[in-house]
Amino acid sequence: MASVVLRNLTKQYSGNNAPSLDMLNLEIADGEFVCLVGPSGCGKTTALRMIAGLEDVTSGEIEIGGRIVNDLPSRDRDIALVFQSYALYPHLTVADNMSFGLKLRKVPKAEIEQAVQSAAKILDLVDLLKRKPAQLSGGQRQRVALGRALVRDPAVFLMDEPLSNLDAKLRVQTRAEIAQLHHRLQATMLYVTHDQVEAMTMADRIAVINLGVLEQYGTPRDLYNFPNNQFVAGFIGSPSMNFVSMRINRDVERVHLTGMSADSNIKVTLTDEQSDILRKSDGSDIVVGVRPEHLIEGSIDHAGFSAVAKVEVIEFLGNDEHIHATSDETDLVAILNAHSSVARGDSITLSAPLDTVHFFDPTSGLRLS
Amino acid sequence: MANIVQSTDLTKRRRGLSRRLPTRGPSNIILGIIAIVWLVPTVSLLVISLRPEADFGVSGWWKALLAPSSLTFSNYRVLFDQGFVAGGLLDSLMTSIEITVPATLLVVLFACFAGHSLVFGRWRGRDVVFLIVVGLMVVPVQVALIPVVQFYHELGNLFGLNPYGTIPGVIIFHVAFGLPFGIFLMRNFMSGIPKDLLEAARMEGAGEWKVFYRIVLPLALPALASLAIFQFIWVWNDLLVALVFLGGNAHTPLTVFLYDQNHELQANYWIISTGAIVSVIVPLIVFFSFQRYFVRGVLAGAVK
Amino acid sequence: MSASAINANRRVGGHRSWIRQHAVSLAFLAPAAIWLLFIVVYPTIDTVRLSLFNESATRFLGLTNYKTVFSTDTILTAFRNNVIWVLIFPFFVTTFGLIFAVLTERIRWATAFKTLIVMPIVFSTTASALVWATMLDNSPQIGAVNAAVLTVSDWFNPPGAYPVSTTAGQTVADLVGSNSRAEKNSRIVSISSARAGGMINIGLEDVSPTTLTLLKAQDAVKPQPMSGAITGVVWRAFSPSDPTNKTDILPGELGLPLIRLSLVNSQGSTVATTTTTTSGQYKFSNVGAGSFFVELVSSNFSSGFTGISWLGGSSLTPVSGLGQTAQALLSVPLADMAMIITYLWIWAGFAMVLIGAGLASLNREVLEAARIDGAKEWQVFRRVTVPMLAPVLAVVFVTMIINVLKVFDIVLNMASGSSVNATPTLAVEIYNDGFTGGVHSGVSSAIAVILFLLVLPAMIMNLKRIKGV
Ligand SMILES: Nc1ncnc2c1ncn2[C@@H]1O[C@H](COP(=O)(O)OP(=O)(O)OP(=O)(O)O)[C@@H](O)[C@H]1O
Ligand SMILES: [Mg+2]
Repeated sequence: MASVVLRNLTKQYSGNNAPSLDMLNLEIADGEFVCLVGPSGCGKTTALRMIAGLEDVTSGEIEIGGRIVNDLPSRDRDIALVFQSYALYPHLTVADNMSFGLKLRKVPKAEIEQAVQSAAKILDLVDLLKRKPAQLSGGQRQRVALGRALVRDPAVFLMDEPLSNLDAKLRVQTRAEIAQLHHRLQATMLYVTHDQVEAMTMADRIAVINLGVLEQYGTPRDLYNFPNNQFVAGFIGSPSMNFVSMRINRDVERVHLTGMSADSNIKVTLTDEQSDILRKSDGSDIVVGVRPEHLIEGSIDHAGFSAVAKVEVIEFLGNDEHIHATSDETDLVAILNAHSSVARGDSITLSAPLDTVHFFDPTSGLRLS
Repeated sequence: MANIVQSTDLTKRRRGLSRRLPTRGPSNIILGIIAIVWLVPTVSLLVISLRPEADFGVSGWWKALLAPSSLTFSNYRVLFDQGFVAGGLLDSLMTSIEITVPATLLVVLFACFAGHSLVFGRWRGRDVVFLIVVGLMVVPVQVALIPVVQFYHELGNLFGLNPYGTIPGVIIFHVAFGLPFGIFLMRNFMSGIPKDLLEAARMEGAGEWKVFYRIVLPLALPALASLAIFQFIWVWNDLLVALVFLGGNAHTPLTVFLYDQNHELQANYWIISTGAIVSVIVPLIVFFSFQRYFVRGVLAGAVK
Repeated sequence: MSASAINANRRVGGHRSWIRQHAVSLAFLAPAAIWLLFIVVYPTIDTVRLSLFNESATRFLGLTNYKTVFSTDTILTAFRNNVIWVLIFPFFVTTFGLIFAVLTERIRWATAFKTLIVMPIVFSTTASALVWATMLDNSPQIGAVNAAVLTVSDWFNPPGAYPVSTTAGQTVADLVGSNSRAEKNSRIVSISSARAGGMINIGLEDVSPTTLTLLKAQDAVKPQPMSGAITGVVWRAFSPSDPTNKTDILPGELGLPLIRLSLVNSQGSTVATTTTTTSGQYKFSNVGAGSFFVELVSSNFSSGFTGISWLGGSSLTPVSGLGQTAQALLSVPLADMAMIITYLWIWAGFAMVLIGAGLASLNREVLEAARIDGAKEWQVFRRVTVPMLAPVLAVVFVTMIINVLKVFDIVLNMASGSSVNATPTLAVEIYNDGFTGGVHSGVSSAIAVILFLLVLPAMIMNLKRIKGV
């Protein structure tokens, strides 16, 4: 087991304009399960491959278990990597796939046998040991890939979207298996995904990356409740947070916010303290964020967000409904109870209490608090 | 096979590859030496053909590299000045063209037809016919020579048209032995053409012939190019068929010209080297103009 | 086709309607089908028939031709050569292709390199064979290979000023005149001995005048005796005016320049060395007590490297003591190797392209997985890359076996002189037996049938592979 520390890790591919990874700083404690999330192309795989030693480091440092490993070849880093494509050896049986690394390390036969057996038991592969990868289903291959990592008993597990090739149901199931595995092994794991639900459900901490830059690093709860900026706020949570650009009305006795148009249907009333903070800010505009799950139908009597909106689309999901509505030409999504009697074309009021409303600087995107 | 053909795109992005292979320097040196070794014979041929006849055997051709001014086109001039005399270099060049061009066109044409029938026809037994064709691909030319010679004579007895000893005789034989590979290539390529396209055209009232030359042929052009290049080079470079079927014909292709110069007329090396350069120029031009198609043909035709 | 035709009959109710239904489709197939039937299928079958008849195809002989095939030394030689080709060539061409394909992935000028290696495929084998015949010519003034070997060999074994061509049966003893004798190891030693102040002259015969012209030799002059020294002259003891006088130095006789001499004492050990001048004179000064002989050391006569006869008839295995048939079966001609090398030059590019494509289609992540699993580069190559490439390597290997079974042009064009009888392959035998001096069918057809049987397994493999696609 080991901790992993990244210091100012940067990757610049020759020929690309912007770096694929820009000054990434990350500390992963021993035994921690960390998820790296971000939209496609943000540099997650790049980061992982650098840690694995498959990609040159442009600048910065990688430390595994207190040792700088920048110049160490992959084989000496004591890591295991589960590839998105699984990368099983097509010419070897499941058992040989799993024992390949140990054989190279000249581990005694009996020990290898035992490691393979116990990994196979954990992953329910005992009956498949003699098969070749081509004779396995996607889920089984996935488990062999995990098994290959497991057998090696590495200091750090790296996984690159290991579930992305599975169907929805199998994905949920395997997700639980990996989480369980982590509890059982208490191993350091770094898990790359672009699926924020995967990250939220499995991770001890999540690192959100965008365009090669670390946006926020924290527990799932922190990320959800206190996103650093508009990007993180929008990325974490499903459906995404609603954002509305609003104007600060400063000249009145108590500051409040209205939509950009003159006769706006959206407004936010504020408490006194909030009012005071915003009165001092320079800008006249602000971005307001409200999560769909915090919106309710009808008005509320205390300070908070409210909008009169026209219902455009209703998505029925069983217990809930996702309501897509427009107000001042802004799209709003709300999750309402399926028993509500809202119908398409209705004009409804959507509100949220002030403690669930987030404010962001329109230029920097940073959250104001 | 399928994935070999798919991966013809050699420029595919290979991430991080170069870095992973730490032996760049040595690779460069090893391959540099190999490249030189591979180049030397060709260069030697070129240099010898450009050296005065009298220098051959007195000093090695490589000495001429230090004195490039001693090189001359006189060998070429002498041979070209002979004009189109039978057995001369220019005459052989013409004969090679006369054999190769029709043999290539016919194979391409018939193979396209047959491919179309095998892929888009709806008669049963197409797969069996295709497998027979695949089987025929490895049949050695030698197995058919004697009966075909006799068959040619038979044609002469029956119709007074004996192709033996004539250029059409050589062409007919080349077409036959080019067809299996040609059909194989065309069928494999054409089976990748969506059937919907043909059905759409048929619904608009196109007959089979129109479907063929309006839809299938244009789409099959890349494979057609590969096949044409392959067949061209194969026929151009053939020695055996020409030796056997041209019999006593006064006009012979370049390969036979070279063979004769080497064997019967005993080593006029300035003629051989000059002739070899002339014989190599044409396929080289074809190769460099259509390298992509050539490589594709190599990949697809690994069974020939 | 016939089976399906029968099915169709049952279904539609008549041969004719089946044909009508598919008339257009079948018309598309017709030209190719006719061609293949008449020029490939029928002749192949007919060859089997002809192989059972006599040379002019008039009398049925049964298997006699096949007996002839296996009891004729020249044809057995052809079998042997095919075996040599099949054993050596496919393995090496696949190995070369693999090495080239792997290494080109690591260089920036891969495209240029690949183009260069592939180029010989488009040359006619005839042209390639003639090019390599020149490359491998015996004479270091023509063959680049022998010239290269000569350069290297001259570092270790430089030729002397008076080379004796041992390959032509010449020996040092042929040079010895009346006042010297040949000794072991190509040395020449004076018959008389001398003490300090004495003189020893050595006349050699049979020295080529062109050598002397090249060395700018001058008339031999007898030196004056000197006290404390041994002097003398080495000269060419031949005068047109008095051919029989071999002992005296006559006017017009030339000295031998640049001869390396040793002064040898009575115990036989060398005490001093020197070299003759352009007029053949030498001098050993400050000679000690005792009597001495003068020796012309062996390096004077070393012929150095005179060229390997790559395309000659020599065998790599010792077969001189064996009978005809045993020779036919057991000899491994050097010329075969020369031809195989030429063929490698032609075909390595083909193997490289195929294997390169296979390599490019490999899942890179599997190789990376192996590196993370702890494999070193060589282990990745041996234990992951090569096994994953196995199907492609097999295709190359099999294709090359077929190719080599039919090998013809290169042998016909490269064999010359004594290798003509040593190097033929089955394809060459078919041609020689069947077509040189008129068309003869019997034995030639029998060999063709055997050749066909030899490629049959490859045909079956292809069929299996393509059915699976
Ligand atoms: N070998 C390479 N050469 C050049 N650019 C590259 C290379 N590999 C990745 N990139 C670029 O670096 C950026 C980050 O790529 P990376 O693969 O790390 O994204 P990712 O976050 O893993 O995306 P995804 O979720 O789609 O897998 C992308 O813009 C990509 O185009
Ligand atoms: Mg990725």
